[in-house]
Amino acid sequence: MSGENQNKVMTTQEAIRRFVNDGDHVVIGNYTVGTCYNQITEIIRQRKKGLTIYSQSGVFDVEMLIAGECVSRVITTYCIRSGGRAGGSMLERYQRAGKIEVEDYSNFTYNARLTAGAQGYSFMPVLPGIMASDVFKVRDFMGDGKFGVVKCPFTGRDVPVVPAANPDVCVVHVQRADKFGNAQYWGALGSVSWACLASKRVVVSCEEIVDHEIIKSSPQYTIVPGFRVNAVIEEPRGAHPAELSGYYNLDILFWAMMDLSNRTEQGFRAWMKEWVYDLPSRAAYLEHYIERFGKEPLDRIKARPYYSAPVNYGSAFTSMWDDEGKMLLFEMTREEFEKLLEERGLLIDVSKSD
Amino acid sequence: MSPRATKEELMIIAVAREIKDYERVLLGVGLPTTAGSLAKATHAPNVVLMTEAGVIDFKPLVPPNHIADVMCLRGYSYALDLFNTFTTINYRGFVDKAILGIGQVDRYGNINTSFVGGTPKTGMRLTGAGGAPDFVSYAKETILTLKGGEFVNKLDYFTSPGYLGGWDERDRCGLFAMGSGPSMMISPEAIFRFDKKTKEVYLESLLPGVDLNKVMSKVPWDLQVAIPLKPFPIPSEEEINYIRTFAPQHCVPRQIMNELAVKKLLEFAGGKRKGKSG
Repeated sequence: MSGENQNKVMTTQEAIRRFVNDGDHVVIGNYTVGTCYNQITEIIRQRKKGLTIYSQSGVFDVEMLIAGECVSRVITTYCIRSGGRAGGSMLERYQRAGKIEVEDYSNFTYNARLTAGAQGYSFMPVLPGIMASDVFKVRDFMGDGKFGVVKCPFTGRDVPVVPAANPDVCVVHVQRADKFGNAQYWGALGSVSWACLASKRVVVSCEEIVDHEIIKSSPQYTIVPGFRVNAVIEEPRGAHPAELSGYYNLDILFWAMMDLSNRTEQGFRAWMKEWVYDLPSRAAYLEHYIERFGKEPLDRIKARPYYSAPVNYGSAFTSMWDDEGKMLLFEMTREEFEKLLEERGLLIDVSKSD
Repeated sequence: MSPRATKEELMIIAVAREIKDYERVLLGVGLPTTAGSLAKATHAPNVVLMTEAGVIDFKPLVPPNHIADVMCLRGYSYALDLFNTFTTINYRGFVDKAILGIGQVDRYGNINTSFVGGTPKTGMRLTGAGGAPDFVSYAKETILTLKGGEFVNKLDYFTSPGYLGGWDERDRCGLFAMGSGPSMMISPEAIFRFDKKTKEVYLESLLPGVDLNKVMSKVPWDLQVAIPLKPFPIPSEEEINYIRTFAPQHCVPRQIMNELAVKKLLEFAGGKRKGKSG
């Protein structure tokens, strides 16, 4: 990727077409909030197949992908259930029908896999207490590969470990990014940066693409550097109905509608037909939302300002030559400096050699 | 006569009272967060509230939707990621209390939040392990909230470790923070604690109007009961007022909350509201 003058800015359609392949291990990078529903629905519309999904806080993103017949395996720690005991989830329906396989980790052990992968290690130690849990003992498709146990060479203690995860692609939605792919995210950090850094390819969508100058003056918000990112998409309300810090709150009523529909498989499929399959893009989705519900519900959940206190990254000077053209430290002009080089015989004419 | 409160409010208040000022408290979503919020607003203003998503030292203004909801608060002191929350804060021993909701619990406070009624492939999925196992292992104390759950002899899935087989087994096995474990449990009917020697759960107080025999009949073993029973804590006006201001939806049973929500939802789903079209 380095050295090539690539234009990474593209549409969701192009990004998913190019960077998500059948059979890929896909990590949904967002942690509970900011979920990239815009990218998820596009994966479904493009009928990607045989995916292994990494999800730590599965809500309707995982449910949709499963119902969209995109998934063979899920690695998860938490997934929604709609309607309590009487209801269900697409994950449970498909697992029971033998159509998908599911491996359950805990939040920490799941994250630890991505941290190991991000750092280039083959495993990551996790906390000893997990060995008492069925999360450790019960194995699904990962079998012996789900956890291991090593002996600490210094204390002699048994330490449980998890294998590194390096998904093929991370799909993530953030607040802002620049055209080079420097993606900035703030709010509940969760495992978002680890998901990006562990993955071979990263597709970033954001509320707004900003000037590189904005990124440079606030590097502490960058969660993945441009040189790791393959695509940058500008797509406002990309996370709807999920919330995104500083932009919009959770659309509770719309979310509740999805939840209600997911109590039955048919209900959820009807919902998907209207909101995923019949709408070719996020822009069309928002248009349809406004047609159905008006603009007011969206306006009501827009975030009000609560800005971070600015910090000064400034310096006393940004050039070795001051405003009067005098060098800092030695206080000579450029002319005087070059005269010094001449006088001391320091200048060499490379073309004149003995 | 004491100020009147709903059952839900009494549960929140009982949990809040367990929190001491200056403690570092890890909160699960729902009742735990409302209780943490109440404690901070009343007797424990310096408590450090935290969620596993890495939101450290916050004070919510409205009830969070989940453990990563920063839009319910205005600012917090420390933005950490999940991995480092579990290691630098939890494993290193800086969680004084973890307050978590649970599904199934056994005699020694071992917990299931993953699957009931079968194996992972055949049983009913609850939500999953989430962050619980690692917090229950290393928080100095864990408070369990059992809203719709059940007592069982044997968990269908062992998600999070309480006192294992009881007595000193938890401390002896060396996997957990020494002296750590569940300290209190609350259901819509009673407050429970764990015997200091046997680590077996016992009933300490009944919520007002609850029949002891009814509670015991739901427990498949011979549930130990404190003699005498401790009276249920009497709520104060300040506490009730805080909950009603902060989280009115948490003051009513889930059924009523759903009923009101569905009513609003049908209005919303019915299409553009009169006078509010875009």
